[in-house]
Amino acid sequence: MDYQYKNGVFIYYLPKELDHYYADKLKRKSQSVFEDESINYLIFDFSNTVFMDSSGIGLITGRFRKIFDKGGKVYVVNVNPAIDKLLLLSGIYSIVKKKDTKEDIIKEMVKGGYYE
Amino acid sequence: MNNTNEMTVTFKAKAQNEAFSRMVVAAFIAGTNPTLEEVSDVKTAVSEAVTNSIIHGYGVSKDVSEASYEPYITIYAQLSGRSVYIEIRDDGCGIPDIKKAMEPMYTTKPKEDRSGMGFSFMEAFMDKLEVDSTVGVGTVVKMWKEIGVVKHHFE
Repeated sequence: MDYQYKNGVFIYYLPKELDHYYADKLKRKSQSVFEDESINYLIFDFSNTVFMDSSGIGLITGRFRKIFDKGGKVYVVNVNPAIDKLLLLSGIYSIVKKKDTKEDIIKEMVKGGYYE
Repeated sequence: MNNTNEMTVTFKAKAQNEAFSRMVVAAFIAGTNPTLEEVSDVKTAVSEAVTNSIIHGYGVSKDVSEASYEPYITIYAQLSGRSVYIEIRDDGCGIPDIKKAMEPMYTTKPKEDRSGMGFSFMEAFMDKLEVDSTVGVGTVVKMWKEIGVVKHHFE
């Protein structure tokens, strides 16, 4: 499973290696959801990811732009130290929140008035 | 003891080969006994350079249907003790303004969700970076890294 969309929540289950090849593939596969649905919460789940380059940053900022003007919030979760280093260096934490677990995100969603 | 080693690998400029290219280099530098973090740094830098060649070097302006043109990328790497030198070469369109290309967040392809962080990451993850490029001829990215040297990190 590459992604999941339900009730305004979109989750990307990112691949083992998030490079240009896989970032483009993911973007193509999920394009229609971003066009047809309204996304309030966008979550990038890095549980399986051990490698990322700047293409991953491009994926996050590109998706961010699509949902930001409609008030969508973006999270990254289960980030390993190597990927954290890249995210820090790119300055992306100014637009994206990092959480340790998905439960932490759900807590914030409920606070924001989200019901499952 | 003369502990030097060299390798060259040439492959087609296809996105599928990005993973292959960084794994080859990671395997080659294993002899320098790098930490996981150092391997990850080198892999990211190689991935950035190779991706740039594919997307920018070969992705624009050159018409693939024109004859006598084969989009290949060549990586040359050299080890001397724990010093790593990596060269990534393409015969692509070249970079008209290298200084501009190296600015963080600058990209000619924002619509394709490119971050513009490629050269910044190469600079951050390697000790030294040099770019030689001629428009219409191609680009060479040269990178150096000393393995096993503790660096000061900024937070």
